[in-house]
Amino acid sequence: MTAVYIPALIYLAVTMGVMAVILFLSARIGRRRVTREKMLPYECGMDPLGTLEIHFPIKFYVVAMIFIIFDIETVFLYPWAVVFRDLGWFGFVEMLLFTAVILIGLVYLFRKGALEWE
Amino acid sequence: MSVVEALYQCSGLLAVLILFATGVLILLLDAFSPLGRKGRLGGVAVAGTAAALFAAWQSESPGEPLFFEMVVWDRYALFVTSVILLGALLVLLLSLEGRRRDGAGTGEYYALVLFAATGMVLMAQAVHFIMIFLGLEILSISVYVLVGLPRHERRANEAALKYVLLGGFASGFFLYGLTFLYGATGSLSMTAMASYLGTGERVFNSYLLLGTALVLAGFAFKLALVPFHLWTPDVYEGAPTPITAYMAVGVKAAVLAALVRTFREALPAVVPHWTTALWILAAVTMTVGNVMALVQQSVKRMLAYSSIAHAGYLMVAVVAGTPSGVTALLVYLLAYTVMNVGAFGVMVVGQKERDGGELLQDFEGLGFRCPLVGAAMALFLFSLAGIPPTAGFLGKLLVFSAAVEAGYTWLVILAVINSVVAAYYYLRVVIAIYRRSEAAEAGPEPAIRLSGGERAALILAGLLTVGVGVLPQGFWEMARRAVLALG
Amino acid sequence: MTEAVTNTGGDWLRLIVGLILVLIFSQLNALFLVWLERKVAGHIQLRYGPMEVGPHGLLQTIVDGIKLVGKELITPFKADKKLFVIAPVLVFMPVLVPFLVLPFGPELIIRDMNVGLLLIFAFSTFSVLAILVGGWASNNKYALLGAIRSVAQNVAYEIPLLLSVMSVVLMVHSFKFSELVMAQQRIWFIFLQPVAAIIYFICATAETNRAPFDIPEAESELVAGFHTEYSGMRFGLFFLAEYTNMFIVCAVATSLFLGGWHGPFGFSLGIPGVVWFLAKTYFLLFVLMWFRWTFPRVRFDQLMNFSWKVLIPLSMLNLLVTALVLKFV
Repeated sequence: MTAVYIPALIYLAVTMGVMAVILFLSARIGRRRVTREKMLPYECGMDPLGTLEIHFPIKFYVVAMIFIIFDIETVFLYPWAVVFRDLGWFGFVEMLLFTAVILIGLVYLFRKGALEWE
Repeated sequence: MSVVEALYQCSGLLAVLILFATGVLILLLDAFSPLGRKGRLGGVAVAGTAAALFAAWQSESPGEPLFFEMVVWDRYALFVTSVILLGALLVLLLSLEGRRRDGAGTGEYYALVLFAATGMVLMAQAVHFIMIFLGLEILSISVYVLVGLPRHERRANEAALKYVLLGGFASGFFLYGLTFLYGATGSLSMTAMASYLGTGERVFNSYLLLGTALVLAGFAFKLALVPFHLWTPDVYEGAPTPITAYMAVGVKAAVLAALVRTFREALPAVVPHWTTALWILAAVTMTVGNVMALVQQSVKRMLAYSSIAHAGYLMVAVVAGTPSGVTALLVYLLAYTVMNVGAFGVMVVGQKERDGGELLQDFEGLGFRCPLVGAAMALFLFSLAGIPPTAGFLGKLLVFSAAVEAGYTWLVILAVINSVVAAYYYLRVVIAIYRRSEAAEAGPEPAIRLSGGERAALILAGLLTVGVGVLPQGFWEMARRAVLALG
Repeated sequence: MTEAVTNTGGDWLRLIVGLILVLIFSQLNALFLVWLERKVAGHIQLRYGPMEVGPHGLLQTIVDGIKLVGKELITPFKADKKLFVIAPVLVFMPVLVPFLVLPFGPELIIRDMNVGLLLIFAFSTFSVLAILVGGWASNNKYALLGAIRSVAQNVAYEIPLLLSVMSVVLMVHSFKFSELVMAQQRIWFIFLQPVAAIIYFICATAETNRAPFDIPEAESELVAGFHTEYSGMRFGLFFLAEYTNMFIVCAVATSLFLGGWHGPFGFSLGIPGVVWFLAKTYFLLFVLMWFRWTFPRVRFDQLMNFSWKVLIPLSMLNLLVTALVLKFV
């Protein structure tokens, strides 16, 4: 059974090999000259200002969390979509309820302003 | 399964469905209502809980497994559900005024209380370990958030963080234990497990023992039994007081219900090997809880330790394990629920007047400032101490006699010594209530004003505390029939 | 993609021949697409684009590629060395796997897996990870900003993408590409599922970070976004992966909504299936380029709102309506 997926692994391995060759060639052919200016972070030619320890808006984290909920929902929906016909009305009603609960969650987030970016 | 059949089976999940639907409704109402009108959400929550309680009593309990052998609706589930919902109802009534004052987060608060109740009831109904785990997670996650809901209070933040981290570990232990149980028995359904294990020849299987140990550890964490209790005082102290009450009674009732069902229906073959461990667990839990409670200055923290001690008494009944032991356990759960929520309820009332309001001196003169509240507190504390004719006394009596009957005399002797020690710190508070404080001698202090919800909650809890103690026959009979439903 | 790959050959032979063809094809495709992009851009802006190397500049990108290999690989001083090196590898590693299951023609599928569609989505989400790793490791403000935005955007547009595809899966009951395409012999799914098709295409544009959703790169504000600090072939790998990913999303769109190797309404007009397939795919690729040079970049808040408030509810409703209709048909 798992043998079915071996081709995917082979493709991954071959891609890695091709990349290794490309990067090796590039490293061999390309020049190497280290200067201070070149190795600094690029900020349009100026000396870099400050550090990278920036606080990102909490929004990004909230979105990431919401994403997990919805992604898991799709994970549940996918197998359902395949066996949809065999499950009959029961499967349909059950998924309807599940989706409704998730949608209510979305409406709640919507109203509470979790999705506002202004 | 056809839709009609599913709908029919829903009648066994009516309480869960009503609780969940009310929770969702509150979330939506909260999202769509203007800030000034959030006070009404509390009414919706109370009504929903009451409706769930009513529905639970109306729906017949056939005792057959429902929904692919995931849940069951039997008299045992009915009893535990009633206790849980009673606790939730009292907690909601106590929360009404505080929520009206705070405003922000009101909808979430009520919704989460209801979601937590959903998880608790599911745990009481579960006959499949996956269902137990789902119930546990639903209730845990809701309670984590409830603990941390006062976002600008440091203590609450600390408590929530501690609880979520340690609780995550506990859930992990539990789930890890389930994988071992599944490996050892080939199923997570309780009946399938029990029939596989049969009379117990296969018990000396290291996977099975390890799995049981991990599951037990997960339960023990949620019950705050002693080696797993370290989070309890801080979390109970930091959480909003009604939520502390909720954690102390609702969570414990649900987890104990699941624990007892696990032992009696899934692992009866394994339990004899664990009796010694449970014995030690019970003994250590009540001793440590009581000794630590002795030295607390904060009444809230004292009650936190006292709830650990009570978990120990409850474990005595689990150790006994006989039908009369489980009956005693159920009655004790009921008694513990009403008296403990009552005691925390008085603290909620006291905290309205003073900032903090948790120290012993804050209770001084309470009996003069508001006779009803003072008397109620004295009653609850007497009951917690196990003084007749209160519910606490009856519960202890039943538990101890069942344990003696089962042959655990030494454990009972230890428990009685503990009760005597415990009486000291409970009565200390009672004395404080009826002592005139220094401030009162300087001039009369303002009387405490009770809101309708608080009055209702305290009276209901007080009546039940006395009622269970004085007229135990009906409650005992109900618990006895509930135990008959167990395998 | 020639007739050499036939059903009569052993599975392994098929696999190896397929692999070689895919390697050649993906490189040529990327080179061609870069040239096409420049040509399309040029003509839309009333200029010629590359004209010097080869007829109409056709060999321009090959020369560019060779030049890129010869460029220095710069690793900035304060960059997280390991992650910095891994990121381009991570972005390019998964791009060839989807070719395993893409249905170029009735007999031209290297391996018709039962999880075909899932395989593609599983591997195509790697690119977000690579972008995050690359942007994070660069120790550059522009790169980090680009990476963070990119994750938020990709995450937001992945859900409607998956949901819209699901309504097609619901109709066919399979993830197998051969079955998905065979179901469209009479009528393409774009006519039965227009909403899903449009949502898919919008999301695919966003997932490949193409304009008007090119927030992660946003030349005019973030220099070059997450790959600001990359040079030489490390940059080249990001570039190659982007164009290969474009081909993949368009090929998936072709096989899910435009009938794959089938001609319109069952008329193949004597043209072989693989030609139909490639023609439709390249047409979609052309549309993607057309988008880029026509629409202005979307503001970030509009971008997020559009996904969470419009596309996700819409795709969910579309799915439910599909399920309901299927119940009654």
